[in-house]
Amino acid sequence: MSVATQRSGGGGGGYVERAPGGGSSSLADVVALILDKGLVIDVFVRVSLVGIEILTIDARIVVASVDTYLRFAEATNRLDLYEKGGKDLPELVQGITEGGTKGKTSGVLEAAAEKVNDMLASSREQRGEEVRRRPARQRPRENEE
Amino acid sequence: MNPIEAEKPTYIYGLIRADAVIPDGLIGLGPSGRVSTISHGRVAAIVSDVPIDRPLGVRGDLVAHETVLDTVAARDAVVPMRFPAVVEEHAVVDELLAPNEDHFASLLESLEGRAQFTLTGRYEQDAILREVLLGDDEIRVLREKVRELPEDASYYDRARLGELVVRALEQRREAEGAGIIDRLESFAVATVSNQLAAPDDVVNAAFLVERERQEEFENAVEGVGEELAGRVRLRLLGPVAPYDFTPEE
Repeated sequence: MSVATQRSGGGGGGYVERAPGGGSSSLADVVALILDKGLVIDVFVRVSLVGIEILTIDARIVVASVDTYLRFAEATNRLDLYEKGGKDLPELVQGITEGGTKGKTSGVLEAAAEKVNDMLASSREQRGEEVRRRPARQRPRENEE
Repeated sequence: MNPIEAEKPTYIYGLIRADAVIPDGLIGLGPSGRVSTISHGRVAAIVSDVPIDRPLGVRGDLVAHETVLDTVAARDAVVPMRFPAVVEEHAVVDELLAPNEDHFASLLESLEGRAQFTLTGRYEQDAILREVLLGDDEIRVLREKVRELPEDASYYDRARLGELVVRALEQRREAEGAGIIDRLESFAVATVSNQLAAPDDVVNAAFLVERERQEEFENAVEGVGEELAGRVRLRLLGPVAPYDFTPEE
């Protein structure tokens, strides 16, 4: 069990990881933060809109896929249920070769997160042929007060 | 203005009060890298040139959009435009600012002295999976079965096991995520709950916070983080521009 203690900005106890704004965060942060949010230019400017091509950016992640299930099954399988006891030999050997710096399960899920990031980046940066004219308007506002 | 200038495509990041001064050192997404403002009456647009030889949307474009807005938002109220907003230069005043000055001025006024924070939380994997396993006989039995089978013989059982685990996580997080938001809502002027992406995400919410109450809010988040330590890992992004509190129009 690990506790995140990084804290980059401000004082305080350090139970919450902090990330300042201003593009210093990860690409996934940036995409989640800005995509489909803000005033829509087409609503205001109709005559002199410049129809520039944009890369397709699809940040929606399909969660209910078999791949997701298999990743969580893997993480669950590797979990040492009773933390201290009950390790059998193959698990012990594996634990040693992995160096035991972190729980074995976290690697699996973190790798998955990295893959998503890669996917986001590649869909945006490499597939230049996937272009369309304007972004679709989606994302209905929720719970706004 | 000559005809070539009249056609100049201009990128718009967002809107500010006309008397607000943008910070030095902002880097735009256009070839010049420069960022400037075009004002009309009480409002102004933050603008730059725009690359015309390639489609917009690479990583650097998104980062520039966010960085410009967040840097301005650190000092002044700003209304973000949705990425990407490109118009002919003259239209910034003629079609955007002049006809909508009152509307934009009142939007800016409603955001004055306020900033957005985005809180995300994710389950600590070992802790939550252990809890799920110990609390669900079907999952525990299926796990034992999967562990005894060679990998290529257990595909469907593994998929089923993962599905059950994912469902169990999704069930838990609903109440838990709402509980976290409940604890913090009173420190914010407004709150928006965003859709969760991964099955082990617990919370993703944006809070519009008065700058004067920023420390109070941060301390409250820290308090919740301390309580949930070992079970949910919280991450607080901000202050950022009020992306989640800007209407479409």
